Amino acid sequence: MIRTTGPALIRIALCIALMLASSAIPARETITVGILSYRPADVILTKFRPLVDYLSAQIGKDVRLQALSLDDMNLALTANQLDFFLTSPSHFLVIRNERSVTGVVATLLRQSGATSTASYGGLIVARQHRHDLNRLEDLQGRVVASPGVLSLGGYQSQLLELMEAGIDLRDDSRVKLLGSHDRVVHAVLAGDVDAGFIRTGVLEQMMAESPRQVRQLKIIHPQKLTGFPFALSTRLYPEWPLVALPHVEPAVVRRLAAALFTLDSDHPAARSAGIGGFAPPADYRSVELLARRLEVAPYDRLPTLTWLGSAYQYRFWVLAVALLLTCLLMASIWLGRNRRQLSAERRRLRQLILDWPQPMLLIREGSVLDSNQAAVALLRFRTREAFLRQSLVSCMPPLQPDGRSSADAFGESMARVRAGAVEAKPWLFRCADGSDLWVDMSLAPVHQETRRDNVILCALHDITMRRQAQQRERLAAGVFDHAREGIFIADEHGMILDVNAAFVSITGLKATQVKGRLPPLPLEEGPGILLSARGRGDWSGEFEWKRSDGKPLILTLNVSSVCGEYGEAAHFVGIFSDITARKDQENRLRTLAYYDALTRLPNRSLFIDRLQQTMAQARRQGDHLAMMVIDIDRFAVVNELYGHRCGDALLVEIAGRVRLALREEDTLARLGGDEFAAIIVNVQDRSSLDSLLKRVLADIAEPVWVADHMLEVSGSIGVVLYPQQDEQTADQLQRQAEQAMLQAKQAGRNGYCLFEASGIQA
Amino acid sequence: MRRRQFLARLVSASLAGASLTGCAREPPLRAGMIHWIGYEPLFLAEEFGWLDPSVKLIRTSSGADTISGLLSGTLDVGAMTLDEALRIAGQGVPLNVIAVMNVSAGADAVMVRPDMTALDALRGRRVAVELPSVSAIMMLEALEEAGLQRSEIIEIDLPVHQHANAWRQRDIDASVCFEPYASVLESLGARRLFDSRSMPESILDVLVVRRDRMGLKSGRLRLLLAAHFQGLMHLVRHFSDAMYRVATRQGVTPEAVRKALGTVTLPDLAANLRYLAPAGLVEQRAAGLHQLMREQALLDRPVNLKGLCMPAFLPRSLV
Repeated sequence: MIRTTGPALIRIALCIALMLASSAIPARETITVGILSYRPADVILTKFRPLVDYLSAQIGKDVRLQALSLDDMNLALTANQLDFFLTSPSHFLVIRNERSVTGVVATLLRQSGATSTASYGGLIVARQHRHDLNRLEDLQGRVVASPGVLSLGGYQSQLLELMEAGIDLRDDSRVKLLGSHDRVVHAVLAGDVDAGFIRTGVLEQMMAESPRQVRQLKIIHPQKLTGFPFALSTRLYPEWPLVALPHVEPAVVRRLAAALFTLDSDHPAARSAGIGGFAPPADYRSVELLARRLEVAPYDRLPTLTWLGSAYQYRFWVLAVALLLTCLLMASIWLGRNRRQLSAERRRLRQLILDWPQPMLLIREGSVLDSNQAAVALLRFRTREAFLRQSLVSCMPPLQPDGRSSADAFGESMARVRAGAVEAKPWLFRCADGSDLWVDMSLAPVHQETRRDNVILCALHDITMRRQAQQRERLAAGVFDHAREGIFIADEHGMILDVNAAFVSITGLKATQVKGRLPPLPLEEGPGILLSARGRGDWSGEFEWKRSDGKPLILTLNVSSVCGEYGEAAHFVGIFSDITARKDQENRLRTLAYYDALTRLPNRSLFIDRLQQTMAQARRQGDHLAMMVIDIDRFAVVNELYGHRCGDALLVEIAGRVRLALREEDTLARLGGDEFAAIIVNVQDRSSLDSLLKRVLADIAEPVWVADHMLEVSGSIGVVLYPQQDEQTADQLQRQAEQAMLQAKQAGRNGYCLFEASGIQA
Repeated sequence: MRRRQFLARLVSASLAGASLTGCAREPPLRAGMIHWIGYEPLFLAEEFGWLDPSVKLIRTSSGADTISGLLSGTLDVGAMTLDEALRIAGQGVPLNVIAVMNVSAGADAVMVRPDMTALDALRGRRVAVELPSVSAIMMLEALEEAGLQRSEIIEIDLPVHQHANAWRQRDIDASVCFEPYASVLESLGARRLFDSRSMPESILDVLVVRRDRMGLKSGRLRLLLAAHFQGLMHLVRHFSDAMYRVATRQGVTPEAVRKALGTVTLPDLAANLRYLAPAGLVEQRAAGLHQLMREQALLDRPVNLKGLCMPAFLPRSLV
């Protein structure tokens, strides 16, 4: 408007306006229009200068243009320094999302030659000689330059095409953001990047400025669209919107819109800016859809996360987690199998212990923690449950055989075991049924690997039988030691292994002397009795034996053969006793019964017995014997005159004299009173008998000195011979002899008379 | 758009051969259609690779080719106006409508000499119309609007692409045509006297499938429709881009595409479900057309309209 009158003045005024406008409150009414510097700021300012002047003139206000980078424009918007702004649709979406705007006033029309268009898109350029880059697919993994992520024509439109072709450059972070389209082109030309993303129209503008350089470039994925004046690689989107901010007065907006819409494409201002004017606002929904599809601002905060996308994004994590899970699974399988094996083993072990015939139990704090069936059975509990948790002391009598309290003794043992010792000793238990039980109890601490929970393993061994056997043994030993009979134990050959004290006292031999020798045996039979004992099982008999000090002994011996395990005679046990005294007694009694106490001659009963024996012998051998009866004449007178003592002494003297007169083998007996009898064996002839009789008579008739008296007595003898013609008994024989003796007495005493069957001979 | 059956068969045969060798397992689903703004979503989907390889789009040179392709069986699916679908059914090939692709909102027009200002001015004039196409319906609607009978005008059956020439040589006074021919005539000084904006929701472009192919290729029909709606979404939401792509394919300026798009509405999935519902728009229109075409002898024999709509292949939801 004042352009023709004073450009310098205008400039000064504009400068002042600018300076003032930059402060928070504009002092003069100035309209500030911000334009995104898609190309270098000075280029834009120069190109748009006429347009600014046109608008200033049309609106009647100063219009100020600011070419701003994206960040600067955001800053300026935040500071509310702009009234209108012209920016890319993508950027507009972001701004609209962050603050309120009045809306799009107009959509830019771009001009190329005679054609104008309200659409624009993206271009993908590479250097001509890059023969490896022809299609979209060739861009996979390449380094690409772009002005910025909010650039629709220089970033988002290309990304969509690549995405449709299955390529997402963002994954590889191969996009270099250079800030402006010029820099992108230069980077491509310099070979810093493989390809560049720029908006449509830029290439054509640069072509006008430096055609030689631009000719080095080629377009990838070119789109040939009728009526679209620029080279193109992507879809088309509505051109840049001019947006009014809410604080601008509606009248100003209307006037500006009117000015914009009336701008013809052939107006110098339009031509200078390279635009075809402004069109009514386009539908920017397609840009919105694009941003949503690409998940870029302002829709980046609500990314529609796809499963596949997130899986790919976190593929290493997913892989790691999958690996870990696999490992976990395998480990648990392994552990599970091990546990199963372990538990099976434990079950087996437990079953083994439970079924093991040796009674075993676990004790904690003196109580039964666990036990096997054998232990339950040993202590005669009805069920295992009844046994568990019993105090072990309660299974013992109050006192042990040694007199100590069971509780004390057991407590001490436990203390020692807890200290680590292993104990094994016999204990007396009292079973549940009240019976006593000797048990050899072994106690050992159970060591867990890390902790000790005072569990003690206890093994029981029933030794009741053994104890009983020991008792029996002790008893046997006591019998052996204290028996009054001498006892010896000999081996199978009869050699003594052991003897008892009685043996020593009876035989007078020391134990050491007899060991390995034969025991006392009958002299005549000797070791033969061992053979018969082995054959019959035992042998018994009496025999005479001489003590070591020479004293004769009569021993009674019983030898038993003791069989070994396999029935063979392994040992001989001999029991003997000294019966010498008893024998003496017997002899004495016999003497009393068969002998006359005064003269020590056999009495009548013994005489008769001998007579019968001698008769039998004579019959057998064909010998002759004679029997005589002697009577002292007038012995009663002696007794009366001198007393019985004297008479007895006379009888003893006469008995001695007659005894001496007879032979050793002949028998003299006193039949009673003053009557004697004798048996004369082996009578050869009559003469020798006669001489014997005479000698007897003579001996009797010899004077006897008794009790200070000289006495002279005579005797009458009756004799009978045997055998005779008729068989005679001893009594008959005696009667015959007495008849003969009476005859002799009648014949005058001091004579003898022989009884004969035919008659008695004097 | 004269039928070029020879060419169409040649194209179909070569494609069929290619498909035989290309896909040994099962021949792909063949969907034929002309380049028309209302069918662009499918071509966009094809361009962006959203169309499954088991579905082949075959660009036919004219609507008549699409019809003959469906009749002969070289095509399984075709995109056409609803009256064309009825004509095919009338020739004994049962069809099902599986989607409504667009509804004309000004795309079909009656172009007249500038001196004619009202519809009744058509009386006694030479009116060029391609009778085997939707233009016949358009003409009948226009005549009904004007209160005229077919006999009161001079009806010249002419393929629509020859209208411009006839116009220049002043052989005709009016033309019943559609975009982009309407715009061409407009540039030659013709006046748009009447267009489909005056008869909302009456000219429908539908996607039909031969009933005998439907069971075999149901999976691929779903893929085809899914691609259609994906392409539709791009066309609507990314118009800045789609405008240029459609222009490139059709060989017109982006501005023309913008304009052409203004003459149709493209029903989305929800609208499709509504249209294809029992007693929905498609059934209503089909019944109306059936009556009209029978009256005007455009349909040789009656068509059973029961079960015409088949919404089963529509996607359940849009991704």
